[in-house]
Amino acid sequence: MNNQTKEKLARNIFFAFALSSILAVVLISVFIFAGGMPALKEIGVAEFVFGTKWKPTAATPYYGVASMIVGSLLITVGAVIIGVPVGIFSAVFLSSFCPGRLHRVINPAVNLLAGIPSVIYGFFGIIIIVPFVRNVFGGNGNSILAASILLGIMILPTIVSVSQSAIRAVPAAYYEGAVALGATKEQAVFKVVLPAAKSGVLAGVILGIGRSIGETMAVQMVAGNQPRITFDMTKGIRTMTTNIVLEMAEAADLHRSALIATGALLFLFILIINSMFFVLKRRMNSER
Amino acid sequence: MKKVLSVILAMAMVSGFTACGGSENTEGGLENAFNGTITVISREDGSGTRGAFVELTGVEKKNEAGEKEDFTTVEAVIASKTDAVLTNVAGDEMAIGYISMGSMNDTVKAVKIDSVEATTENIKNGSYSIARPFNVATKENPSEVTADFISFMVSAQGQQIAGGSYITVDDAAAEYTAAGLSGKITISGSSSVSPLVEKMAEAYKELNPDVEIELNTTDSTGGMNDAANGVSDIGMASRELKDSEKQQLSGTTIAMDGIAVIVNKANPTENLTVEQIKTIYTGEVTEWEELA
Repeated sequence: MNNQTKEKLARNIFFAFALSSILAVVLISVFIFAGGMPALKEIGVAEFVFGTKWKPTAATPYYGVASMIVGSLLITVGAVIIGVPVGIFSAVFLSSFCPGRLHRVINPAVNLLAGIPSVIYGFFGIIIIVPFVRNVFGGNGNSILAASILLGIMILPTIVSVSQSAIRAVPAAYYEGAVALGATKEQAVFKVVLPAAKSGVLAGVILGIGRSIGETMAVQMVAGNQPRITFDMTKGIRTMTTNIVLEMAEAADLHRSALIATGALLFLFILIINSMFFVLKRRMNSER
Repeated sequence: MKKVLSVILAMAMVSGFTACGGSENTEGGLENAFNGTITVISREDGSGTRGAFVELTGVEKKNEAGEKEDFTTVEAVIASKTDAVLTNVAGDEMAIGYISMGSMNDTVKAVKIDSVEATTENIKNGSYSIARPFNVATKENPSEVTADFISFMVSAQGQQIAGGSYITVDDAAAEYTAAGLSGKITISGSSSVSPLVEKMAEAYKELNPDVEIELNTTDSTGGMNDAANGVSDIGMASRELKDSEKQQLSGTTIAMDGIAVIVNKANPTENLTVEQIKTIYTGEVTEWEELA
């Protein structure tokens, strides 16, 4: 075998491997949309998406997931409000202000957060955050707020590590130039370096949003899971993910199909979030 | 613009917090007075425990259309497993939940129902009301193999299987020995009983490899009708047989299913009536002081 055929062979093998992940995405999409279709046809798309009543096992069943869409969005917005400022400021501190020795302690600690299984976060939530919310804000503690606080912590490592590498990727000349022109260190970091890194920081935030809208186990343990709409942060709500995991084990027929359709809807949300991210990123790159 | 938006969002969140200051639990003042909003904890739709609980307490009742409907309040916290119910009740002084009797432990307190304590004896003697028998029924003179399977269900081996998640009916049952029969048994009925009968059928088939067992899951009444009409050999019911059914069928209780209503250990409530439990779970009563 000469070198050229070897190279060709290797290229084809790698191409096949590259295709496998595309194949996985295609298979998942096909399965989830094909599985959800019968339910959407029978229930009706509008009834399914905008219906506020979820009573899958009643004699006259209702399959409306509006409350769960609201739930997923509310909890995610809460997690972003809590997690994003903390995450971005942590990244700024770690990349620009942190003494080297401290960095060697904090950075691995933040990365370790990413490796903790979500069921452990859920236990932490039940034992610490739920009683905290109950005692400080009232209600029974199983709430949108508790889920948001928990997810705010869970998305930290994603935001911190992605933002940190984005800030570090800004050419040193930006910072040095700003300082040379008389800016203080704080001014240089917040007005020059951070804006220059904004597309990377935004990438971290979007990844965090994706994680929090898709999180299931931890949310299920602290969110109360009531299938009705509320905007009261101390009350519980059900999300699309928890609806699936709660009822999948016992569901049959249309109920099961409706749960798969919930999954399809969730998948759609993730696709929208990701494409928003690509559009924003492209726009930002062309601005530069 | 972004700044304005984030300020509005922050304010919305803060006002969300303060709006519920009123529901904070007040410290108990008078002796025996227990105040606060009840945290109702239920199981997910489709759970067998939930099905039994709503049926036995009357939370499931007929709606205007004459269909049975589960009226559990939408404000109920939904826990997906028995463990989650226990953790929630153990951690929240205002909570009430229900679990299968076999899962009871000392992190929570079981209340008396209509002044009857939740014990295995009280379930067996029928005085504890949130419990139900698992019955199998056949016509008079069933086939040899059908009678043999029923004798297996109430034997020591069968009762050991029942004791896994339910309450046995006979702890001193005799051992079953296989008679080497062959044939086919068709069984239909209650979806609550069928998981147990399925397990028993598997164990029975290991001892009697020539017997074929076919299990159809419908509901209690359907199972009794099938057995009476000869559609199936054995009908399963998660309730007592009705008088009309007893005329055609003879029933055997293979296990009992009991549900304990649990509250936090700090809760002084010792006794609740079935009616009170129903009003709590349908959301008519939301405060502990309304029950005093």
